[in-house]
Amino acid sequence: MCGIAGILYKKDATSRNASTGHALIEMLNGCQHRGPDSTGFALYGPSHDDQLRMRFFIGTGDEATVATTKIKEILADHNAHIIEDEVVGNNYRVVVEFDGNVQKLSYDLEHAAKVISIGSSLEILKDIGTAHEVDDVYHVNSFSGTHGLGHVRLATESDVRPEAAHPFWATGFADIAIVHNGQITNYWKMRRRLEQRGFEFNTANDSELIAVYLADKLSQGFRLEEALETSIEDLDGTFSFLVSTKNEIGYAKDKLAVKPMVMLENEDMVAIASEEVSLNKLFPGQALSTMEPAPGTFCTWHR
Amino acid sequence: MKRIDLSAISVREGNELLRKMAEQEDIIEVLNPDAQHHIGVGLTSPCTVKIRGSAGYFCGGLSDGARFEVDSNAGWGLGDNIYNGTVVVGGNAGAIAGVAIRGAEIVVKGNMGSRAGQVMKKGTLLCCGNANFMAGYMMYGGRIIILGDSGERVGEDMSAGDIYVAGKVNSLGSDAELIDLPADELDSIMAFLDKHEIGFKGSFQKIHNAGKKLRYATQEPQRRSLPFFKHSAEMTYWNEKIQEDVFVKSQIGRYRIRGYGTARALPHVSDIAFRKKIDPDRIESGVVDQVRMRTEIGGINGAEPLKLSMPVMVAPMSYGALSASTKRAIAIASGMSDIAENTGEGGMSDAQRGAAKQLIFQMLGGRLGWNIHDMKRADGLEIYISQGAKPGLGGQLMANKVTKELAEIRGIPEGIDLRSPSRHPDILGADDLVIKVEEFREATGYRLPVSIKLGAGRVRDDIKIAAKDGFDFIELDGMQGSTGAGSSEVIEYVGIPTLSAICEAMDALDEIEFRDKVQMVLMGGLRDGIDAVKALCLGADAVAFGSSAIIAGGCIACMQCHIGQCVTGIATQNPDHEDRYSPEQEALNIHRFFESVRWQIAAITNALGYDSVTQLSRDDLVALTPEAAAITGLPYEPEHRDETDAIAIKAS
Ligand SMILES: Cc1cc2nc3c(=O)[nH]c(=O)nc-3n(C[C@H](O)[C@H](O)[C@H](O)COP(=O)(O)O)c2cc1C
Repeated sequence: MCGIAGILYKKDATSRNASTGHALIEMLNGCQHRGPDSTGFALYGPSHDDQLRMRFFIGTGDEATVATTKIKEILADHNAHIIEDEVVGNNYRVVVEFDGNVQKLSYDLEHAAKVISIGSSLEILKDIGTAHEVDDVYHVNSFSGTHGLGHVRLATESDVRPEAAHPFWATGFADIAIVHNGQITNYWKMRRRLEQRGFEFNTANDSELIAVYLADKLSQGFRLEEALETSIEDLDGTFSFLVSTKNEIGYAKDKLAVKPMVMLENEDMVAIASEEVSLNKLFPGQALSTMEPAPGTFCTWHR
Repeated sequence: MKRIDLSAISVREGNELLRKMAEQEDIIEVLNPDAQHHIGVGLTSPCTVKIRGSAGYFCGGLSDGARFEVDSNAGWGLGDNIYNGTVVVGGNAGAIAGVAIRGAEIVVKGNMGSRAGQVMKKGTLLCCGNANFMAGYMMYGGRIIILGDSGERVGEDMSAGDIYVAGKVNSLGSDAELIDLPADELDSIMAFLDKHEIGFKGSFQKIHNAGKKLRYATQEPQRRSLPFFKHSAEMTYWNEKIQEDVFVKSQIGRYRIRGYGTARALPHVSDIAFRKKIDPDRIESGVVDQVRMRTEIGGINGAEPLKLSMPVMVAPMSYGALSASTKRAIAIASGMSDIAENTGEGGMSDAQRGAAKQLIFQMLGGRLGWNIHDMKRADGLEIYISQGAKPGLGGQLMANKVTKELAEIRGIPEGIDLRSPSRHPDILGADDLVIKVEEFREATGYRLPVSIKLGAGRVRDDIKIAAKDGFDFIELDGMQGSTGAGSSEVIEYVGIPTLSAICEAMDALDEIEFRDKVQMVLMGGLRDGIDAVKALCLGADAVAFGSSAIIAGGCIACMQCHIGQCVTGIATQNPDHEDRYSPEQEALNIHRFFESVRWQIAAITNALGYDSVTQLSRDDLVALTPEAAAITGLPYEPEHRDETDAIAIKAS
């Protein structure tokens, strides 16, 4: 029950006049009618291989103090050295130097705190409210980066809580994020398969499942387009989703094409959204040559 | 030429301006459309609207007589339900272009998305590029011309109409068939292309309905009357009902279709009672004037509400399942009792509109009889998602009832066993639903309340979606509701009892703190004023009666509504049978029944110590069975049973 958006700039930042964060805010503002409850962004900044950026929901007041202390303890246990940290909105954001096992570290963190994202370049910003409201608190606009995803959500099957907002990161796998519109009907079957292989799930949300499914494929050495291709066969239900990694974005669309998706590609960028109205937000007043991806198809772009 | 700049004003303001300008201007230009939704929706004046850019969902939808030219692309539902008029799109169109059109000419110069022309009735949809899968899905008439490739499963479950493909026919849909193109049809296609200045040389293949699925192989036999109530009472393993079932299946060799609701004993409002002892002898004769019963429904978001003299409505029942005379009788009775009537599926008749003071117009997935003119003369608009008796299934109307007149108003071929689509072409999730509701509001100037009819299934989630999508009220229908025709197995075994449904619905609204932001009308097995008061206590703002209303008007509940040979002239389209029915007389009977409901509601509310129905609450109730206590969370106090019987006797 939502709207999705994604953008990847093929060239360097100097050639454009707006930040990636700004572009995504505009695109989501265009389709906010599809999901007025919460808004989220997956943004990719400059990457440092020996560093991890992490975000956590910590709440406020005493709860926040307890949560932060716990997070710091676990980071210390794993020899992750904090080089930067701050509290933004109800998030705790921390950058650490780390060269150990990311999956192990993130599962330990998951057990103790509400992880939003972990990656050497990925940061997920999401909360209750509209694109502009989330930007006011988390300064999405200031993210220049090269690519990113966004999501607006209408909460129906679960509460309006910040942690139920999208995007989701692939729990345990750094730098992979997903935004998804639709419903995976073989969710439990797929989840049990992945759980049997030792993967952990943090929510009962089908978007997290897609993220972990794809991340697992990538960690087995498949390329993103190969993972997307098998996802169309393996996942049942209705879906249009976008996935991003450190240096690429991609989409997959189910065979029934029940969930909308429109894309626009030119020399400089590719932008994909639930509705053309989001793409037109990037180019107001212009007639765009957009196209609707065919049912059962996928594609990726990388830098 | 006038201009409307959508970078300066909202689409809502733009559409208002457009409607005003169109009364005088021939050409109106829309600047900076930027793919926004609902441009031109509800326009009924002849003029040309030039959209300089891309349009979003439902461009030109629900219009009549106008011409729209879109320079670039159009989103989903291009030209939705257009009566007459033209739409030309310079670029591509999204999914379901030309959905449910009733006579338009739609030209897409580029490609078009999936399910183009779904449930279209009449008119021409031309695609100069390629179509995506299932073009002509469930179409009932008109023609689709595709100059490129057809896409997969073209003509899936079409009932009638023609599809012409110049490129490759990728694959045929179920019950679609490829045939040679008759010469005169080629001339007509070429004339259409010339008219729209499309240069084309080439030949076409034609796809039409193969006719294998339009009728059931064997029709239902008519049976000696074995009334519904007999079924409901028998709980032994072998009974007359089982016998009948086996016999009918031995004749038709498939699942059985019948009317009415589930005949099994299920938890019901009769399993709860009033906590306070009500002494029937102390009810005063003037009680109706002592209790405030006026109820407004649907005004919560600023629309003009239905103003009911008591918290009661007539449940939606289709013209088709019921005869025109019956619909008229119910409409007259609803007017006399000053409550709301509902068209149900299959369109609005003048007689019904004239007789009903307040009339809700219902739209189902097949869009049968749906159109802008009747929308405008309705007092409320309703989106049917499902009904309690057969959640997840569409309407059924057997060939006997699909007469020429009925087929015409619905826009379908005569004499088919009609299985109306169970899904809407353009409502595939809560996100699309928002856009659909907005389309209705745009088309009717935000004047009418918009409601949703939900059969109880995944109640919690569905109610939350309905509430969050901004409906003015919800009609919630439980498993004990009736139907004009449905599969017997589904009627018996699928659904959620009405009592459980209302309790879950209220919990859902509390969970999202929406109790005051949407109104709830409950129906499904509610029989009289006593049941109505219990529903109000449980949180409903009003109730609706289906079966009671038709029984009051002479129905003998033989459950053979689907056969079309109704002996009382109610569930038939056969003029000889309909002649047996006297609408004026039956209207009085139905009206008297509604007045007895009024008296019961007043008497009980008064006896509970209140002077307004809005004071009723859960605290007034107790449960008579352990099941009802578990479902409702009310205290289990079976000793109240005798008292309940006493009021029922007094009131009857
Ligand atoms: C003859 C008949 C036709 C019906 N047609 C429709 C219809 O077109 N649309 C709809 O929403 N419900 C339809 N229903 C269902 C009723 O609106 C309602 O859900 C049900 O009758 C309520 O339960 P009750 O009959 O126990 O009062 C029909 C019911 C009957 C008996």
